[in-house]
Amino acid sequence: MGRRRSGPSRRERPVKSKPCVFCKENIAYVDYKDYNMLRRFTSDRGKIRARRVTGLCPQHQREAATAIKRAREMALLPYVVGR
Amino acid sequence: MVHYWSNKIQPLLPGWSHPLWGSRNRPEEAKIDTYEVMFIVIPELDEEQVENTIGRFRTIIERTGGEVGEVNNWGRRKLAYEIDHRADGFYYVMEFTAGERTLPELKRILRVSDDVLRYMIVKLPPTYARKLLPETAEVSG
Repeated sequence: MGRRRSGPSRRERPVKSKPCVFCKENIAYVDYKDYNMLRRFTSDRGKIRARRVTGLCPQHQREAATAIKRAREMALLPYVVGR
Repeated sequence: MVHYWSNKIQPLLPGWSHPLWGSRNRPEEAKIDTYEVMFIVIPELDEEQVENTIGRFRTIIERTGGEVGEVNNWGRRKLAYEIDHRADGFYYVMEFTAGERTLPELKRILRVSDDVLRYMIVKLPPTYARKLLPETAEVSG
């Protein structure tokens, strides 16, 4: 059996546009000191979650990533969990 | 007689600056940047020695023409990972404005200070409204 060619193999779902949490709360600066908030954007292994998971806009995803890296450097967040 | 287009040379708005010249025309209005430094001080010291250490950096900032703003003591906290076989440290956050020599001098002193595990100096965005810092002292012993 080959791959099915006819028809859309993946169902098209209506795109829900969800505003980024920082945009919604009007946060201008993502602070690396607020590590408990940043923890929401890391996986349980301590990795930075992808934008499609976090739902952040490009600007805030970038800023959140920088903030997480700064927090890691200051030992507020782990580089890796459960080694 | 004034040339009809002479008004086009004038800045359009009071705060207007030429895209290429920038704010070079108004150097006296240069904005003072606010910085923030976070220290992790080694846990072997007692509170008083830590205060002395922080006071040392405060004098460095003030001596070099800076001004120290808010100082936040986060207390003794557990580190997310070990640094030099130490599991915790004293966290201090200090806001300051810098003079010309402040940053290189502060960095130089911090680099040679054995009682500081880590430090980080961050320039705060000018629009950043001060918000409440997390009141944390997770580890106390």
